Amino acid sequence: MPDLKSILSRSSSIVTRKTGNEYVLVPVVNNIADMNSVYTLNESGAFIWELIDGRRSIEDIISCLIAEYDTDFKTAEADVYSFVNEMSNYLIVNEKSE
Amino acid sequence: MRSYNLKIAGYNIRIDSAEDGPDFVPGERFLRNICECPDSDILIKVHSGAYPLPEESERVFIAPYIVEIKGMKTSRRDNFWSVYKYQADLLLITNFPYSAPNKKAVLKFSLTSREWELWIAEAGSGTDPLEYPLDGFVLYYLTAINGDIMTHSSGVYIGRHGYLFSGISGKGKTTMAGLWDESGAKIIHDDRIILRKTGSGYRMYNTPVYHDDIPLDSPLTRIFIIEHGTSNKMNLIKGAAAISLVMSNCIQHNWDPELIARLLGSVSIMCSSVPVYKLFFKPDRSVIDHILENE
Repeated sequence: MPDLKSILSRSSSIVTRKTGNEYVLVPVVNNIADMNSVYTLNESGAFIWELIDGRRSIEDIISCLIAEYDTDFKTAEADVYSFVNEMSNYLIVNEKSE
Repeated sequence: MRSYNLKIAGYNIRIDSAEDGPDFVPGERFLRNICECPDSDILIKVHSGAYPLPEESERVFIAPYIVEIKGMKTSRRDNFWSVYKYQADLLLITNFPYSAPNKKAVLKFSLTSREWELWIAEAGSGTDPLEYPLDGFVLYYLTAINGDIMTHSSGVYIGRHGYLFSGISGKGKTTMAGLWDESGAKIIHDDRIILRKTGSGYRMYNTPVYHDDIPLDSPLTRIFIIEHGTSNKMNLIKGAAAISLVMSNCIQHNWDPELIARLLGSVSIMCSSVPVYKLFFKPDRSVIDHILENE
């Protein structure tokens, strides 16, 4: 489980396309059984996805979410961790920031 | 027969037997697609015998061979088909479920070359070089090269309206095609459709699946993602949701990010000009009235 200081980056095993304020995500797979999995990210999911850049920590992302959506820390933290859990197969926990 | 051309979904496929290649006996389902076409979009040179896979080749995609024995599904030791990558080439290896067990093929191709090679082991005295499932692979990679879309769908055409009904197995594609057939619509196909962008909009094309298929195409004006329901109800879907619903029903070999990006791009562009609906339907004539009334 990544902590607040963990830095996230996106895995190369997923292909994305932005459409309006949303994203469509398609995983790279090596077996026909896993084919046809497609994910969509709504506006807030897309906002978090775009903040995952290999430099920002989870804490940074939460701060950005609070600023953008005028929400409290607890709600933003829950949203970010929920996103991270949902997308864990396509995220890389790189390192902890200083 | 040592060579012939096929016109499928607007693609011109030239098939030549190499010096060491077999004689051809095209399957009955392809007979109406054979044409005298001077140019070809793709040339497939066919050899007899096995093609030794280079040791350094990397397997990138597999489809297990699932067989049912006394009601139980189990995987055979060999794969149904698989894709390997070797340098700039792709090597697609397949079994043929409706032929002798030792008949196998290797299709050597790339996404940039228009000359492909095919080796068929245990081809026999006369062989269909596009026997199932090889025809689907050739067509799939042709659509990938050309930015087109291959989908599990049924398609119908009536009074300037071209409707695509898409859904996984059991969602009612064939049922829907049957209902429209009874209503006098032209049935493009009830299973496998290729979608291509043309100068005048999108068109849907059938592909030879059944022995009596004849080449058909029509404009595409609406896409329906179908589900059985207790009443007829259609909801317009937009944006990422529309793209993901259509993508989910496309035929796709998602081992390569570039292949995915191409298909995702093609589907996105199509969904920006062709409306996509989620359709719950009762399997009777009322769904046809419902769709036509909402035109």
